[in-house]
Amino acid sequence: MSARILVALRIKAAPARVFAAFVGEIGAWWRPNPLFSFTPRSPGVLAFDGEGEGARLVERLASGKAFEVGQVRVWTPGERLVFGWRQAAFAPGMDTEVEVRFEPVGEETRVTVEHRGWETVPAGHVARHGFPDQLFLLRHGQWWTGLLEGLSAHLLP
Amino acid sequence: MPRLTSALCYKDPKAALKWLEAAFGFELVLLIEDGEGNLAHSQMTLGDSHVMVGNEWSADHASPASLGGKNTQTVHIHIDEDVDAHCQRARAAGAEILAEPETQFYGDRTYRCRDPEGHIWTIGQTVQAVTREEAEAATGLKIQGWA
Repeated sequence: MSARILVALRIKAAPARVFAAFVGEIGAWWRPNPLFSFTPRSPGVLAFDGEGEGARLVERLASGKAFEVGQVRVWTPGERLVFGWRQAAFAPGMDTEVEVRFEPVGEETRVTVEHRGWETVPAGHVARHGFPDQLFLLRHGQWWTGLLEGLSAHLLP
Repeated sequence: MPRLTSALCYKDPKAALKWLEAAFGFELVLLIEDGEGNLAHSQMTLGDSHVMVGNEWSADHASPASLGGKNTQTVHIHIDEDVDAHCQRARAAGAEILAEPETQFYGDRTYRCRDPEGHIWTIGQTVQAVTREEAEAATGLKIQGWA
């Protein structure tokens, strides 16, 4: 089984629009969190490089370099997005995965983020900052909730 | 703004998440699972309110299913429309209806039910504006703080 975080938020926009903003405007709504930075030189600006399966989520750093957070594994516009997620400090074999689902609920979209695979990052790893497992996952989940709230605010200024 | 949140204990909290969505329309907004797939923490929302759904995480936290069905606290859900339809939905999801929808002297139409682990829930909808004087006359009670 996988240690996972699931968060969800309703956003007052259609699934196609929310999906487009998630992938196309991530640099505008993403809010970096110093506890969960991808590289020692973060934060940079997030972007999906390309479209469809095989596209890459990257963080463009001030140095001009781009750090690859992960490859897109599923890209179904308006419905579902799955991509890999790793920090620069992850050793080989450490890999987490993010699945985002966009479901219509009336005029709104229920956006669900499932971030799984944290059992591959051992206790004591620098990415966990010494937090006990549950607290680490909870703090990470609260960050995801804040990110979705940022996406909502971006769509509904 | 301060607010209250109820945290409920279940022997099988993951089943409870599914049930509460099916029966009451609660939406899961946060779920944390450990490497064995056990629920560590979760929250569900209804409108601007939420409840936490957890396991029997200490010797002093138990589901009614572990206590012969005893409840020491119950949660009340207040809705804006169609409490009868709400009851039908809960019944269809497997709720045991302890009291069918009935309009009370204070103007709310309410029903009471028991979920699969024995938590008792009350659900109400305001259907009539009742004054304090009318409520006192109907019950013979002396009422303070009538909103």
